[in-house]
Amino acid sequence: MEQAKKKKQFSILPKNKTTEEKVSGLICIAPAFILLTIFVLVPLVMAIWRSFYYYESGPVDSYFVGFENYKAILKNEIFLKSLGNVLLMALCIVSFQVIGSFIFASILVKVRNKFTVFVRVIIYLPYLFSGIVVGCIFTLLTTYNGGFINGLITLFDGEPISFQMDKFWAYLSIIVPTLWVGMGYTTLVFYSGLINIPNDYLEAASVDGAGYFTKLFSIILPSLKNYFVLIIVTLVTGNLQMFEIPMMMTNGLPLNMTMTPVLYLVHLRSNGNVSESQIIAASILIMLSVGAINAIVFSLTNRKDKDERRVKKHG
Amino acid sequence: MDKKDLTKLSRKSEITNKIVLVMCYIVIAVVLFCLFLPLFLTIICMFKNKQEIFPTEFHLFPINPTIDNFTRIAYLQYTSIGINFFQSLFMTLLVASISTIMSLFVNSLAGYAFARLNFPAKKLFWIITLMTMFIPGITILLTSISVVSALGMMNTIWVLIIPGVASAYNIFFFRQFYLGFPKDYDESARVDGCNSFSIFFRIYLPSSATPMVIMGAGTFIGYFNSYLWPTLTIDSDHAYLAQIMTTINKLFNDASTQGYGSVLAASFIALIPAVIIFCIVQRYIKDGIALTGVK
Repeated sequence: MEQAKKKKQFSILPKNKTTEEKVSGLICIAPAFILLTIFVLVPLVMAIWRSFYYYESGPVDSYFVGFENYKAILKNEIFLKSLGNVLLMALCIVSFQVIGSFIFASILVKVRNKFTVFVRVIIYLPYLFSGIVVGCIFTLLTTYNGGFINGLITLFDGEPISFQMDKFWAYLSIIVPTLWVGMGYTTLVFYSGLINIPNDYLEAASVDGAGYFTKLFSIILPSLKNYFVLIIVTLVTGNLQMFEIPMMMTNGLPLNMTMTPVLYLVHLRSNGNVSESQIIAASILIMLSVGAINAIVFSLTNRKDKDERRVKKHG
Repeated sequence: MDKKDLTKLSRKSEITNKIVLVMCYIVIAVVLFCLFLPLFLTIICMFKNKQEIFPTEFHLFPINPTIDNFTRIAYLQYTSIGINFFQSLFMTLLVASISTIMSLFVNSLAGYAFARLNFPAKKLFWIITLMTMFIPGITILLTSISVVSALGMMNTIWVLIIPGVASAYNIFFFRQFYLGFPKDYDESARVDGCNSFSIFFRIYLPSSATPMVIMGAGTFIGYFNSYLWPTLTIDSDHAYLAQIMTTINKLFNDASTQGYGSVLAASFIALIPAVIIFCIVQRYIKDGIALTGVK
């Protein structure tokens, strides 16, 4: 009886419940939202503001200059070169990482036993290591005098490789550690996608006489589309902002050929050759290019979706 | 005739199947080798002395094993670097732990509100929160330094903790988890007289172990591994606040004169927390990937 009474009381007062929800909802998001405002939104607005001003030592000396900062940084050859470098490196890393980890995940799905459970767990480990530590570890392999790789080469009377002087090897000495860190995670994401594909589909296709590659292109890849988009977007965003591993491995050598934009901006800040507002303008350009590339990836995958829908409609 | 063909065919496919399986094992072995080789070399080389790490003649194992590298790490505050390594490690662990607890609390509360409560301008708040996810760190780096110095936080422990506490990614993740939560629970709790807060603290918080472990591990590792922000906001006069990655980078820059062994020893010590976190989190990895919302 009492409970029924209570129930009635609460159902009579829906307004009170909604106002309570409104107030407590706002209180719940308040701490997170205030912190995001102070430490993300305010700095962002300040960055956009300052990129249009000449801003050196304090607000007293600042004056409006329009797009001058952007023009100056776009004339900076090293910055443009660093953008080109990072695009090339990101392209290599993303394509190799996506294809390689997809193949490895397929292998782990094919060989499913206790041993591969262990493999599946252990490949995730490097993902938790910091770029600084990974750089320290891989420098052990790539040092010119007596590093592990050159040690092996000289053991077989070969010509030692100069990882900081040759462009190709310098690129490789950044790309390989980055892959070493990230491959395990993407493999696991693909693995969880692959085991979620209903087995009936694959068996039905086999009964109809489909080979592996037919199944791959008509069942497996289409059903993993979301996984590919997620991985490509996160990898592109992360790799365009590469900083720690390039700093540890080559630090821009040889002749800024492996310079990345973030590394260059950090160098500029410590050198003090360029005004701070130019650095900020450059960092906004980095944000815009990351956004543009992600937009391209999204629009490409969306167009495919539309095509499929059109086919379905007419079919 | 037909039957014979079929058995022939099946035997043939069996053989190809076996070949494929052997190739799979070879690939797995190669991947494991590549995974462990750098770690193995690190562990070997941290017991080598200065000349042996980069030798003129190739030796895999140390000829005269030594623990000098660890001794140098232990007395690091008396060298030119001037940072107590173990204090730096302790400070980093402290900062990471406090930040992780604060971050989990703040972000799960916001995730719950976005998933379950109706409040004014919810959509606007959500869009702004999502937007912050796509802002690269470098874009707001310099102006963030202006903000924290205006708040008087430079060279204090708070500059390491506070700016990273709220994270749109974590809020998104918690919201995703709470959206899958049965709604009947809070209906019946409301009937029993709970308000939104007691529903969160009594029902949602106790049953969100999975996202807490995954997000907690990610946040902890992120703080532990951070390099650029601590280096730019803590100057060398406040060496007691120096974070571990800054210390390792300083060691690395001195390696050409002081030898590389201490860098490896320090790296090895810095890897231990990551390995412990890995052991805690490994059984939750699969759930974590399912929760990122790829489906």
